[in-house]
Amino acid sequence: MSAANDTKLEARILDYLKSRIPAGRDFKLENVVRIAVGWSHETWLFDLLYREDGREVNSGMCLRRDPGNALLRHLSSLEEQFRVLKCLEATALPTPKVFWYEDDLAILDMPFLVMEKVPGACPSPWGRDGRAYYQAAADRGTLPASFTSTLATLHTLDWRAAGLDFLGVPSTGPSFALREIAKWKELIALSEAAPEPILTDLIAWLEANAPSSEHVTLVHGAYRTGNLLIDNDRISAVLDWELQVLGDPLYDVAYVLSDLNREGTPLLSNLVEREAFVRDYERQTGFTIDVERCRYYNALYAMRSVAFWMSASGLYASGRSDDIRLARTAWSVPVVLERAATELGY
Amino acid sequence: MNADQLLERIATTLKRDIGPAVESEYPKTQAFMAGVVLQKLGRQLGLQTVHSAADEADTQALLGDLRLALEQAPAPAAVAAAVATLAAQHDAEALCNLITALYDSRAALGEARFDALLGRVRKNLRATIDRRMVYAS
Repeated sequence: MSAANDTKLEARILDYLKSRIPAGRDFKLENVVRIAVGWSHETWLFDLLYREDGREVNSGMCLRRDPGNALLRHLSSLEEQFRVLKCLEATALPTPKVFWYEDDLAILDMPFLVMEKVPGACPSPWGRDGRAYYQAAADRGTLPASFTSTLATLHTLDWRAAGLDFLGVPSTGPSFALREIAKWKELIALSEAAPEPILTDLIAWLEANAPSSEHVTLVHGAYRTGNLLIDNDRISAVLDWELQVLGDPLYDVAYVLSDLNREGTPLLSNLVEREAFVRDYERQTGFTIDVERCRYYNALYAMRSVAFWMSASGLYASGRSDDIRLARTAWSVPVVLERAATELGY
Repeated sequence: MNADQLLERIATTLKRDIGPAVESEYPKTQAFMAGVVLQKLGRQLGLQTVHSAADEADTQALLGDLRLALEQAPAPAAVAAAVATLAAQHDAEALCNLITALYDSRAALGEARFDALLGRVRKNLRATIDRRMVYAS
């Protein structure tokens, strides 16, 4: 998007915010920053300044727009994100407070939501600076404990009382795993990718070996550094509510324990010692970490990753996106398939 | 100059000269990423002939082993049909159908035979993915 278009959009955002705060006047936007271009939803951070009842108000806000060609296609919905965050406001889990969701395309051309800009930073764990940041935090020790306790809070909150059952409650037995498999099969089908025999093998194996869940909790789906806002060495907000489901909490635990998010360091998510995580998580939740089930979920994550990359490269191939980063992911598919073959023992 | 060499040179130009000259963050990333895509595509094209020949030889060997296994003991009709399709098509779709037929016929095959047949198919899958990793990783 060009700078001129950005300026026009800022004016439209300001018009919208004025309409939502009728008692305010002298509105202006400051510190407008656009982050995360193209992969998923467009995200804008800004400070809204205005006067109301004779006082100055400075409200930090975050606006997310859905361009309609996100990696997860229809499986990621801003409206659902808004509902989830609204439900979570009454819980102990640190999340941004949401203000408004709009699906009227006349306002900003795309569906969008506006939420609170929570204080904190979200260093990417993939770069050198991010790795150094998390290593220093690991050495201080406070943030690793916050990482584990926040996941424990997420897994022990009363999702029924919070009204999150609209996400779909899995029945007992293997229905949670089978439902996830079906979801990612759907995304793979939409991508219209070429047949992949290792993927066929992986899916058949996953369906044949789906484990039963002992507990049903809220599951974030991508709990790792990079999706967590950090302030003063503590997690100030859990972000990226795009993959959440009700299901087996070990699905999140497997993600934390996997090699996927540690960039070659022995620390989980570049931050937490495995032994400390397992000990503190089990103590705080009362759940036992079943290593075999986590291995199964690792294989399921391989399937999910293939679905992501097939979807992404398919969006480019079909002309729905011009972002060359999506074209690049066509070569990520064999990389994940190789990992899946290893997970299956060959 | 071969197509793969041409793509490699353009990729280098994009990454070394064009990308760094772009100031705006998004188009700069796009220039670098275009270089990465062309580089991978170039490597893939350069290996295509060799890899296709290796894939074909592997498929022939797999078909030989599967025919032998099916001669020794009759297999469920779905498995036999999938092997026949693979013999006719020699492609990934036929291999996917064979894998599906094996899983669907698991009870009829019995665990030992299922493991043996799937294990033989997996030997081919491993060889193919190792070849793809040469340019994908």
